Amino acid sequence: MKSVFVAAFVGAAMLLAACGGNSTANNPTTGGSGPPTPPGASLTGAGATFPAPFYDAARFAYNKLFSQVTVNYVAVGSGAGITQLTKKLVDFGASDVPMNASELTSAGGSDKVVQIASTLGTESLAYNLSGVSNGQLKLTPKTIAGIFLGTIKNWNDPALAADNSGVTLPNQAISVVHRSDGSGTTYIFTDYLSTVSADWKSKVGKGKSVSWPVGQGAKGNEAVATTIKQTPGAIGYVELAYVIQTNMTQASLQNHDGNFVLPSPDGATAAAGQFLAVTPTQFSIVDAPGKTSAPISGFSWLILYKDQGDKTKGTALVDFLDWLLTDGQQYAVNVHYSKLPANIVRDDIISLKTVISGGSTLLNVPAPS
Amino acid sequence: MVRLVSGDRVFRVISYGAAALIMLIAVIFIIALVVPALPAITRFGLGFFTSRTWDPVRNQFGALTPIYGTLVTSSIALLMAFPIGLGAALFLAEDARLSLLRGPLSFLIELLAGIPSVVIGLWAFFILTPLMRDKVDPFLQHTLGFLPLFRGTPSGYGFLTAGLVLAIMVLPIMIALSRDVIRAVPRELREASLALGATSAETIWSVILPYARVGITGAVLLSLGRALGETIAVTMVIGNTMQISASLFASGYTLPSVIANEFTEATGNVYLGSLFYLGVVLVLITIVVNVLARLLIWRFSSSGRAAA
Repeated sequence: MKSVFVAAFVGAAMLLAACGGNSTANNPTTGGSGPPTPPGASLTGAGATFPAPFYDAARFAYNKLFSQVTVNYVAVGSGAGITQLTKKLVDFGASDVPMNASELTSAGGSDKVVQIASTLGTESLAYNLSGVSNGQLKLTPKTIAGIFLGTIKNWNDPALAADNSGVTLPNQAISVVHRSDGSGTTYIFTDYLSTVSADWKSKVGKGKSVSWPVGQGAKGNEAVATTIKQTPGAIGYVELAYVIQTNMTQASLQNHDGNFVLPSPDGATAAAGQFLAVTPTQFSIVDAPGKTSAPISGFSWLILYKDQGDKTKGTALVDFLDWLLTDGQQYAVNVHYSKLPANIVRDDIISLKTVISGGSTLLNVPAPS
Repeated sequence: MVRLVSGDRVFRVISYGAAALIMLIAVIFIIALVVPALPAITRFGLGFFTSRTWDPVRNQFGALTPIYGTLVTSSIALLMAFPIGLGAALFLAEDARLSLLRGPLSFLIELLAGIPSVVIGLWAFFILTPLMRDKVDPFLQHTLGFLPLFRGTPSGYGFLTAGLVLAIMVLPIMIALSRDVIRAVPRELREASLALGATSAETIWSVILPYARVGITGAVLLSLGRALGETIAVTMVIGNTMQISASLFASGYTLPSVIANEFTEATGNVYLGSLFYLGVVLVLITIVVNVLARLLIWRFSSSGRAAA
C-alpha cells in the first residue's frame, strides 16, 4: 500500500518535472571557474527526512542557477529511498545510514553504486527543567547512558549532582522521550550510546529502531521536541536544527577530550574533521576526539548508480551533486546543518568521478588534490 | 420482449462482474498482506502472538504487547462511548419536547464524525495530554488509587488518554447508528406500550431497547472496528512504548501505531515481514469481531423475534 503511494508520488513528481524541464533545454555556457554547466534534465531523488530541509533549499537554488535542471526530492524515509533507487524508480537515493550488505546485494553489489556523504548533522539532548537554563545542565557519557538505560531515574541523582555543582537539580522523575518512528537520528544516538557504554551495547545495541529500556516514543523530531516542552522533567535527543528553531534548552555534553560543549554546527564539522576518511563501511564519527567536537554527530548519504544508463541525465546528476558538495554547502548552514570538512568533500568528488555512462566519466572537474 | 431479455442479461453480467470484482479485491488484498509477512510467519509462527519481545536490533519480534494495547484502548473507548452514545441516541430519537435541539445536535454529531483523525490527534496532543496529566489523572489517582488501574506516575500519555480519544472518535458512529435503529422501532409498539400504562422509561427499557438491540449491537461493533484500526490520533497520545502495564496511566503501543511508526525505515525481510504480520493480526482481530457480531445478531434476532 505504502510503496504504491510512494511510487505514485514519485511518478507524479517526475511528470511535473518533465513538463517543466524541457522548455529551457538550451543552456547558456558559463565561462570561468564556476560549477560545470549541466545539460537540461529533470532529476528525482527520494529518501531520508533528516536532510530534507537542506536538499530542498539546495535544489531550488540550483534551479535558479541552471534553470534547465529541475531536481525533485521526496522525503519518504531512508529505507523507502533505498528501495526506490534499487528499483530504479529514482535517480538518486538518500539515507542517514549507508546501504548495508543485504541492501547492496539487492542493488547488484557494492561496486555498482556510489555512496557519498552529503551533509553533516549533530544532535542535542534537550530538556525541560524549570530553573535550569540553556547549557547549564552538564551531562557526561556515563550519565547519558544511565538516563537512557533507566539506572538514573531522578534529576537529584548523586551522579548528576556530581557533574553539576552550582546547579540545583529538582527532586523530579526523569521522563525519557525518544523517537517512535525508525530514523537516522535514532541510529546516530544509539551508535553514540553503544560507543560510550558497554552496558548499552550489550543490552540494547544500535539501529534506526531499538528496544528502548525506558521512556516514551514520539513520531518525528517535531513531536519529540513538543513532548519534551510539554512534560516537566523530560529529556530527549533532538536534531540541533529543531532545538535552535524552537528555542529549547539543551545540555552541555562532555566530549571524548573531556570538555563540555554545547552542540553546534561547527562542533559537528570539528568532529568530522578528526577522521582522515569516511567510507560507506567506516562512517561513525560519534564520540570524536578534539577539543570542540560535538559528540553525537553523523553524516547523511546520497546514493546513485555508478553506471548511468542515460548519459544526459547522468551528467546533470553528477554536476548537481558536485555543486551540492561545494557551493551548495552554504545552504546546509542556513538550515543549521554543518559544512562538510574539506577532506570529505575531496573524497566525495573522487567517488563522483567514478560515475560513468557508456564507458566514459561524466564529471568533468579537475581531480581535487 | 427480446430487448428486455437482453437488457436483463447485460444487467446480470454487470452485477455478477461487480460481485466478482469485490471478491477479487479481497483475495488480492489478503495475498498482498500475507506474502510479505511470510518471512516473519515462517520464522516466528504462532509464537508471534505470545511473545513480548520487539527488538529490531536483534531481529526478534512478537505481537503480544501491541495486541494488548489495541484491545485495552478499544475497550476503554467502548466502555465510555456506549452509555453516552446510547443515552444521546435515545434523547435524539425519543424526546419530542426538545425537538428544536434535535436538528442542531444531529448536525454537531455529524460534524464531529467528519473531523479528520489527525486533527483530533493534534488537539489531543496539545490540549488533552496536559489536561489529563495535571487534572484528570491525579483526580482518578486520588479517588480510585487503590485499584492497580490507576497507579503509577501520570504523564498524560498512555492507555487512558488514547482510550478517551478513541471514545470521542467512535461516539458519532455510536450515536448516529443507534438513533436510526431506535427511530425504526414501529410506532405501534410504542403506542401499545404507553396504552397499557407503561411510563416512557418503561417503554424504552422493555420495548424499544429489546427491539433495537440487534441494531445497537451492530453500532457497537462498527464502533469497535473503527477503534481497533484508528492509527494517527492514537499514535500521538499512546506514548509508543513496548510495554504491558496494568496501569492505565502507563504508555503503551497499538498494532496500527507500530506499523505506522516503523514502516518507513524497516529494512530486512524479517523486520518488514513482522510489520506485515502485525497487519495480518489486526485483520484477524477485525474478522473475529465481525464473526462475533454476526453470531450475536443472529442469536438476538431469532430470540428477539420469538419474544416479539
